[in-house]
Amino acid sequence: MKRVGSRRVWSVRDVTGALARRLEDIPSLWVEAEVHNLRGQRGQVYFTLRDEHQVDASMNAVVFDRLPAPPRDGSLVHAYGRVEFWAERTQLRMRVERIELAGEGLLVAQMEALRAVLDREGLLAEGRKRRLPLLPRRVGLVTSATGAARDDVLRNLWERFPDGDVVLVDVPVQGDAAAPAIVRALRRLAEIPDVDVVIVTRGGGALEDLMAFNSEEVCRAVAACRAPVVSAVGHERDVTLCDLVADLRVSTPTAAARAVVPDARELAGRLEALELGLIRGLVRARGQAEARLEQRSPGLAAALRAVGTRAESRVATAGDRLAPALARHAERAAAGVHGHEDRMRRAVAVHAREAGVRLSAAAAMLDALGPQRTLARGYAIVRDAATTRPLVDAAALTAGGDVTIQMRDGSAQARITEVQG
Amino acid sequence: MTQDDPATFEQALASLDQVVARLEGGEVGLEEAVTLFEEGQRHLRACRERLAVAQRRIEELTAQGQPAVPQEPGPF
Repeated sequence: MKRVGSRRVWSVRDVTGALARRLEDIPSLWVEAEVHNLRGQRGQVYFTLRDEHQVDASMNAVVFDRLPAPPRDGSLVHAYGRVEFWAERTQLRMRVERIELAGEGLLVAQMEALRAVLDREGLLAEGRKRRLPLLPRRVGLVTSATGAARDDVLRNLWERFPDGDVVLVDVPVQGDAAAPAIVRALRRLAEIPDVDVVIVTRGGGALEDLMAFNSEEVCRAVAACRAPVVSAVGHERDVTLCDLVADLRVSTPTAAARAVVPDARELAGRLEALELGLIRGLVRARGQAEARLEQRSPGLAAALRAVGTRAESRVATAGDRLAPALARHAERAAAGVHGHEDRMRRAVAVHAREAGVRLSAAAAMLDALGPQRTLARGYAIVRDAATTRPLVDAAALTAGGDVTIQMRDGSAQARITEVQG
Repeated sequence: MTQDDPATFEQALASLDQVVARLEGGEVGLEEAVTLFEEGQRHLRACRERLAVAQRRIEELTAQGQPAVPQEPGPF
């Protein structure tokens, strides 16, 4: 300091020195702020800590790089350190010793850490995902009894499969009580032997609201559940660890309902198509048998036809009645007419069974009346020597042609000398 | 595996598919066709009986042994 006239004049150094002395006593403290403008230089990491105001900060790069969850630009953090004053340039900077993610960033970091643990244990592996049963006896549902997700699941499940049998376990889906309640619910359902598949679901929400579904206890309970688990937590973009551990992840409660039960109409249609296939197959086999018999003995075929025609007409009737039934089925949405249809279906089954019995009898008769018996009675079969086809008409013979004559105990080769007729 | 285990239904349906495929593939004798037809009917019956057992209902439970939500300690 010097005096110039009445004026006291200070050097900059005097000023910054005085500031430095005033700022010396600021203790180390925790600050909550967002990290911005993160950059590294010569063993230090520089950034600004910002809320409505901002302060420059630095941290040892080695320490920073070893952080389990290093902050990125925009991360909300808790930073611990001392504000230092650099007198030469009149700059303030917070020298950060510890830094931790806070808020949503902390939740994300916790999720990532748990995800890594579960992954190491193989709980996320595709290979351990179980296939859902085609037709579960009962569907377990873990959700809030008052949530929209419950209504979505039930409405869609019953729309697709009207006879769906559901066991709902009411749980809180957010807050501290949620995770332990979900774990108990899964155990509870596992004790009910008919529960063949379980849905765990809740609607969308902030990450904090979904954290029960990112908890280790819920993930482990899902992985350990006796029945396959379908997880539908949050919206499309939310992926929870529960989703990843579950046997099937879907994005909405509606999709979960559709995943666990078959489409009743489609299934009934498939069964009817299969029944029709059985009948068609049987009719054709009979037709083929008849054609073979016709080749060998037209007379026997005629005798058999009399027996078979009745069976065939019954089978054909059954088929005719089934085809329009299938068409009706496709058009109809309501389930009210099941009774009538069941009666018809039973009638068809009875007809088809009768047809089967008659065809068995026909087959036995075919055996009994086979050519061996005829030969034993003194008849012979004349076959074309080259093709071995039985020759029924004299017109099929030519003079000089070779034939085989089949008798009861053997056969002979012969040549035609003359054809009459 | 019990009678109405879901696997039973799926096996019956898969067997039925196979039977129909063989029957429709042609080239089966009449005796075999009748046997397949009867086998198919048996599977079909099993599937339909299983479907007939299902009935729409809902049972609502609470997660058992759920402790009361702990109260925040009051000021006095």
